[in-house]
This record gives sequence, C-alpha cells and structure tokens, in this order.
Amino acid sequence: MSLDVTQRIKPPRAMFLPFMMGHHFGVPFHTELQKKIILEALGRIDKAPASGDIHMFPMTWAKARQEGKEIEAKILAKADDGKS
Amino acid sequence: MTENSNDFSQLRPGLWDTVNERYPDSMITRDELVPLVRPVKTLSESRVTFVSTAGVQPRGTLPFDTVHPVGDYTFRRVPSGSKPADLEIHQLKYPTAGAKRDLNVIFPTERLQELTADGIIAGLSENFISFIGYNMDAERLERTLAEDIADAVEAEKPDVVLLAPA
Repeated sequence: MSLDVTQRIKPPRAMFLPFMMGHHFGVPFHTELQKKIILEALGRIDKAPASGDIHMFPMTWAKARQEGKEIEAKILAKADDGKS
Repeated sequence: MTENSNDFSQLRPGLWDTVNERYPDSMITRDELVPLVRPVKTLSESRVTFVSTAGVQPRGTLPFDTVHPVGDYTFRRVPSGSKPADLEIHQLKYPTAGAKRDLNVIFPTERLQELTADGIIAGLSENFISFIGYNMDAERLERTLAEDIADAVEAEKPDVVLLAPA
C-alpha cells in the first residue's frame, strides 16, 4: 500500500513498509523477517499512541532483498551439499 | 494523524492523486479518524484473523474476475490451516513473482500458524478472508463488499484482525 493512500483512508492503526508491491510480509524464505513484520504490526495494537498513527517498519527494501538473497544462497548451497 | 504519520516517503509518491485523476471517484478518502479502541486481551490471549487483498484463494474455488473493467466485489474464505500448496493467486495488479516462490510474502499462513504453535498468539480464526484490490467503484465497494467482509470477519469471532493490502 502506498503511504499517501494510507494517510487518506486513516485507519486507526497502520504500519507502512517501503517494500515492493506484492511483498508486504517481506521476501521469499526469510521466515524471521516475515514473522517480525507480523509481530511489529500486531504490536501497534498497544503501541499506537492515537488513532491515525502510521508506524514505519524500520527496514529498507534493499536490505530486505539483500538478506533474502543470502538466505536463498544458503538454501541452495545446502541442497547442493545434499546431492553430493 | 500523529507525529509518526507524515515523516517518511514511499517508493511511488502521489499515487492516490494519480489514480483518482485517471479514474475519478475510484479512491477512498476519509475526513474523520476512527476512535481508537484499546484491547482488553493480550496478544497471547487473542484469536487472530487475517484479511487480505492479495486475491489468494483455495485451489478449485471460483477464480476472482481479474479482468472485469470495474472489479470483482466478492470475497473468499481461506481456511487458516491451509498450506501454500492448497492455495492459488488470482490477481493481476501486483507483482506475484515473490509470492509464487513463497506465498508467505503476501499471505503468511505458515508464519501465523507458527506464531500460534509458539503461543505468541492464542489461535487463529477458522477462516481468513481474501478479495482483490482492483475495485474501481469506491461507493459500491464500501456499500457491498466492505459490509460483506465485515460480517464475515465478525462471524469468525476474532479478538484481533490483521489487514494487509497486496
């Protein structure tokens, strides 16, 4: 979701991720990041100071993608080890 | 709006204005804030449901109409115990390359199941709710689909609802 769209519809609590569309819970196979995003969003239930608050998830898309690539490389290397 | 609401940028700024200029009245805007309701249960006592615009649906169910000029105003129930292999995506309006490799990037059923197994949340509703975000008649969306989804969510009796766009 775009930030300006969220600002317009004014949900009582929201979290914005500066990620690519179709990746609102992170990148493939990065299970820790996917969980962290869910928990940080659910955490806004208590932490949002007032209605209309939009919390910024503290990670760039570039960093998420880089971490995802490293995880996939490890998965591939493990699969290759299993074959040999 | 709070102090947190305005101090960061998005990857594609000005989207609301751009879309609404091309398709007048297709975008929703609100003047009033919804009163904030504080939870009475902790997260570990809460039953969670999930609502998504990702167009994810159980395999074999009627596909969303992704090519209708004004959109599809229906929703699907997705069993919360589903595995990614049980599900498929009918949606053309967002990149699905990541989701086709790992559905959890857009519809994190496995992560929510794990959080339940770990006791971080008390449980999941029987079903999650899925629809497509491409609906160009905002008035019809609010009058029909939004009301239908609200009823469906209420029937799931959650304590917490996690909503995510795609």
